[in-house]
Amino acid sequence: MTSHKNLTHANPWIVASLLVLLLLAMAASCLLGAVDFHARDILQSPIFWQLRLPRVIMSVLVGAVLSVCGAAYQSIFRNPLTDPYVLGVSSGASLGAAVAILLGLEAWLWGVGGMALAAALVTVLFIYRIASIGNRMHTTTLLLTGVCLTLLISAVISFLMVLNQEKMDAIIFWTMGSFGSCAWSDVAAMVPVALVGIGVVLYFGRDLNLLLAGSEAAQSMGVEVEKVKRTLLAVTTLMVAFAVSSCGVIGFVGLIVPHAVRLVVGADNRRVVPYSALCGALFVLVCDTLARTLLRPSELPVGSLTSIIGAPLFIYLLYKNKKSI
Amino acid sequence: MIKLDNITVGYGKRPVLKGVTAQIHEGVLTALMGPNGCGKTTLLRTMGGLLQPAEGCVFLDNTPIGQIGARALARQIAYVRQHAQTDFDFSAFETVLMGRNPYQHRLQNESQADWDIVEHCMRQTSTWHLRFAKPDQMSGGELQRVMIARALAQDTPLLLMDEPVSNLDIAHQLEIMHLLRTLGKTVVIVLHDLNLALRFCDDLLLLHEGVLLFHGNVSDGLTPERIQTVYGVSTHREGGHIIFDY
Repeated sequence: MTSHKNLTHANPWIVASLLVLLLLAMAASCLLGAVDFHARDILQSPIFWQLRLPRVIMSVLVGAVLSVCGAAYQSIFRNPLTDPYVLGVSSGASLGAAVAILLGLEAWLWGVGGMALAAALVTVLFIYRIASIGNRMHTTTLLLTGVCLTLLISAVISFLMVLNQEKMDAIIFWTMGSFGSCAWSDVAAMVPVALVGIGVVLYFGRDLNLLLAGSEAAQSMGVEVEKVKRTLLAVTTLMVAFAVSSCGVIGFVGLIVPHAVRLVVGADNRRVVPYSALCGALFVLVCDTLARTLLRPSELPVGSLTSIIGAPLFIYLLYKNKKSI
Repeated sequence: MIKLDNITVGYGKRPVLKGVTAQIHEGVLTALMGPNGCGKTTLLRTMGGLLQPAEGCVFLDNTPIGQIGARALARQIAYVRQHAQTDFDFSAFETVLMGRNPYQHRLQNESQADWDIVEHCMRQTSTWHLRFAKPDQMSGGELQRVMIARALAQDTPLLLMDEPVSNLDIAHQLEIMHLLRTLGKTVVIVLHDLNLALRFCDDLLLLHEGVLLFHGNVSDGLTPERIQTVYGVSTHREGGHIIFDY
């Protein structure tokens, strides 16, 4: 029987190893950039304190948040194709950001981010409202409304960009995702949201497993389905909204990291969620470090790097495992 | 144990069940029968608290079932669905282990007792050799037996089963029916095989177009006249078996 015990929960040694690896990668990432440091000079440098450290911390937090939310959504909706943006958070945030950029709010602290956050939350609330029937949530309607609204909003954003071509670059760069403008104020907002949010998802790990067996089966096995779904959707939406509003839309991570983790460790969310958090953090950190060093001093959009690096990696995993997701 | 008090249940405005009143007693194995679309699954889901009746009330040991929380209810009633499938890869062992959920706190790990119960239930349903198998590596019948094992792992006095043996070969059908007889639980089971019901069940709930046509001893219930009314098929009894007149 002992062979099964290691199968349900995350192995503390693997978690610890991943954490150490993550910390080492963060340290290495801090040394690299448009200006390279020697380890002994780094603590004196304002570049390190003002730019690099908050950026590295942000990339780790956002990577963890997107991966955990992806894992949670895939279980809640029982759909392997859902990603954290499927409910319209990203499109809402992008519209908010685009409007803020057009209004010239970039100079304000939280100008673009605050506007993006507000628009993201309004969009998702609107979608929930449509998909709620009585006190139940119809998940297919939720997904379809999300997809529809995403398409509508991206059309509106294209429209705004064509009408305001001089600001097009700023908007495009924002929608492709970047940690370039991350400051301590972003970190301060993100840390509590990420820690509490990931904690809540971990807490509901077994419930997520049961939801995968179907709402009715979950209920008959003692899960308060509607309550658990609502709590998890609220928490994950808030996490994604905060992530998107501070660094734009970084695709691929939330869809693929949980699947890659599942291919290696199986479907149990009590393993998938913590491993996804750590692997997602590491993955986005590496991508962002490459984004700002490959063509220095200029920068690549991190969202395109996550896809360029992640897609082949994932296809390799699929090929190696030779099984469907 | 379970009392249905004049319940009417429907989806939208169309009532599927009309004014059903019945009482299921403890330790009795009841067959729930009737043609396709007559409301068997709806009745079973209502009994399990998964559907709210539009009118009337379901009582579990004299408490309205709607007032019992999901966790507490899951320690009383286990439900086996008609179609079992998941899109994600849980092994058979992990699937059966889910049945222990109502006894575990969220931050609590499974105990040795949980592992032992799971092993016991999987051996009872002849699925222990499948414990590492993923859903796509199992046949429909094997998966169905895993789902029955999961319901048994819930360790409830009451079992509600929606066509649990439809996907099984004859040997496994008999094995599961024998098992249900020996468990000493209260069981309501949807069956299509008249002879299986006659051989293994005590009572019969016979539904016809959403109305309860008969509730009582199974042998008294399955008369050629009623079978003709409900299924439109002509039969006769011979040596305790129901024979179809083709």
